[in-house]
Amino acid sequence: MEPEQFQQTFKDLETEVGRVIVGHGDLIRRVLIAFFAGGHVLLEGVPGLGKTLLVKSLSRALGLSFKRIQFTPDLMPSDIVGTEVLTETSGRREFQFKQGPIFAHVVLADEINRATPKTQSAVLEAMEEKQVTVFGDSHILEAPFIVLATQNPIELEGTYPLPEAQLDRFFFKLLVTSPAPAELKEILKRTTGAVSAEVSRVLFEDGGRRVSEMQELVRQVMIAPPIEDYVVRLVHATQPDAGNGGPLKSSVRQYIRFGSSPRGAQAIILGAKGNALVENRVHVSYEDVERTIFPALRHRLILNFQAEAENITTDQVIAEIVKQVPRN
Amino acid sequence: MNMSGPSSHREKPERLVRRLAARLSRHVLWDSLLLFVPPALALIYIVALFFQAAWLSARIAAAAAIAIAVLGGLAVYFRRRPLVPGMRTAARLIDRQSGAKDHFLTLASVDPANQPEAFLARLRRQAGGFLDRVDLKRNFPYRFKSSAYWSLGGSLLAASLIHLLLPLGLPGRDAARETERLRELAQQMAVNADLRALARELEATAAQLDDPKLSAEEKQALARQLEEKIQDQQKKQEQKDDQDLLAQAASALSGHKPQDAAGGQQEKEQQKGAGGIQSNARQDGQGQGKQGEGGSGEGKDESGAQLSQGMDQGKSSQANNKERGQDKNPAGGEKDNQSPADPNQPDSDPDKDKPGMTQGGAREGGGRQQASADPPPQGGSPAERFYKPGEGKEGLKGAGYVTVQLPEEVVADTKGESRPTKDSKNSRTRTQIPVSNVPLPSHVPNAPAEKQPLPIEYRGIIR
Repeated sequence: MEPEQFQQTFKDLETEVGRVIVGHGDLIRRVLIAFFAGGHVLLEGVPGLGKTLLVKSLSRALGLSFKRIQFTPDLMPSDIVGTEVLTETSGRREFQFKQGPIFAHVVLADEINRATPKTQSAVLEAMEEKQVTVFGDSHILEAPFIVLATQNPIELEGTYPLPEAQLDRFFFKLLVTSPAPAELKEILKRTTGAVSAEVSRVLFEDGGRRVSEMQELVRQVMIAPPIEDYVVRLVHATQPDAGNGGPLKSSVRQYIRFGSSPRGAQAIILGAKGNALVENRVHVSYEDVERTIFPALRHRLILNFQAEAENITTDQVIAEIVKQVPRN
Repeated sequence: MNMSGPSSHREKPERLVRRLAARLSRHVLWDSLLLFVPPALALIYIVALFFQAAWLSARIAAAAAIAIAVLGGLAVYFRRRPLVPGMRTAARLIDRQSGAKDHFLTLASVDPANQPEAFLARLRRQAGGFLDRVDLKRNFPYRFKSSAYWSLGGSLLAASLIHLLLPLGLPGRDAARETERLRELAQQMAVNADLRALARELEATAAQLDDPKLSAEEKQALARQLEEKIQDQQKKQEQKDDQDLLAQAASALSGHKPQDAAGGQQEKEQQKGAGGIQSNARQDGQGQGKQGEGGSGEGKDESGAQLSQGMDQGKSSQANNKERGQDKNPAGGEKDNQSPADPNQPDSDPDKDKPGMTQGGAREGGGRQQASADPPPQGGSPAERFYKPGEGKEGLKGAGYVTVQLPEEVVADTKGESRPTKDSKNSRTRTQIPVSNVPLPSHVPNAPAEKQPLPIEYRGIIR
């Protein structure tokens, strides 16, 4: 696949999803970038902003299999990964594996923070290893595989916040914001009229193969060593124990409880590569990195109580890190 | 995707980066040169000044100049080396200048072997689109940095200050001159057998003065001290020479014009407006008095002492003469038969023209001068018992005689026997007193052979 084909496919997908989702262009782009980078996305936003619609539209445009899991407190791991079911075939009874909803190309884990940690952890192996293990048998998930999880930042009563280990498995964490007035007007026009927009498929029969090719192409994008060094400095600066010799001032470091893991750096670079390809470039620029660092590190930086007390958000901390860490 | 293209076209972005890197490297070289070369040149100039001032020998100056040049070169090298911009820096500058999104940086920094050829070709093609936005000469001209101005100004200032202030503090140059002078003096003195020891000492000291370990103050003090020694020795030698010359002159002029030999000093004393004293005091004292006026402090003291001694002698003689003049002491003017001013011996007056003698006879007649000029009694020798204590057959035992010339007499001399001379300065007529400190001729042991101006403090006493 050529970069131009990638760019064309990407734009087609954006266009198709954009026919249903009003606004959120940047959100759609980042979801697609994460998808082609092979990562999973955590969407956070209040109810009613179109998170589920976005995922449905995307899977439909991609022409890939799509499953939706509504996470509830009584959801069991077997409800996600599947279970062994006793079946009788030709007069012979045997256990047969019944695949759960995780076996799909695109999985929507809706309100993932409402399930118990035991159920949440069932998704961990699938997200990272792209396989599930049931009764000692491992079952490979078909590529491409992407988990789009949503969570509600409010109504936290009765929820189980995702542990840091599980949060780290998400490539990006994207914030779904309320639409602007013009966007809201367009939403009303599309959803309250007689005619509703439909999402057309962009990828057809060999959609999975093409997605895989596009994912390989993303990894071939060149990145200059100085830019790699910049990413390393950025991620290292998030470590609270980086010391006074680090580039980050103590005024910022004092709010960080846990810094980013190496997955954060991987996400930054892969996201930057995807962003470069989208912009018809075959090399990563500093701007790609700085544009990607927010969704890549937003959920990987764990702030302390002092930051919460002072209403310091991770985006503010990341912005300060970008400001303080020099490019060269 | 068009992955291939002309080789020259593909190489263009990298070549531009290399050209800019070389250009920036030259800029850094110029910066370093402009920073370090002016101080190095100023230091070399200062070393040259020191060498010219003889503070540094030629070898040390050459070594210092070479060391400064080497240090300057090393400073340029070590300052330039870390500041030489690499390909990445040049690529960043081109990216910033052309508005490219790190195209040149990626091209300059990635390893082509590990990258897809199609992507590299695509990247070169994209970077080539920015080439026309970059003009190295226009976008990256060389600009003088403030450090260069500071370096140049500071170096010029330092060199100018040293150049201007060096003559004010040139003990080294004086020391060198003194060293050379010492050597010259030592060579001159080595000819004289009496001064060979001192000449050797001077040679050794001159060698010490060339020692760079000695401080300038020590050298100055040493040189001055030795110069004083040489001057003292020279004065002593001159004194000897003068004495020899005076002795020769005295022997040559004995019985002719002993006053002429001392005419210069007499003129000086006359210019002071003093009177004259002729004394038969010891000639050693007179000679040392002249030496004292020659400049030596010790000589001056000796001169003062001798002069006082002479004056005392003159006073006592004067007193004796006065007594004799008043008392008609027959022994008072025993030697006046040899005095040119003796009026009692008109026939035997070879020095008739001498002013002292004329004064004595002309103005006071049988006065004090007359008393001093009175001859001893011509009758038979009185018995020893008739002599006063301290007197003998020939008058006062061991007494000397002086002929005093008062200022009035000096003025009178201008009209009389004194030989007028023209002062070269104001062309005023003044008197040349024919006196001398030449030792008296041996055949006239106690004759007042000279006239000396009377110091003003003695005038009242003598009168």
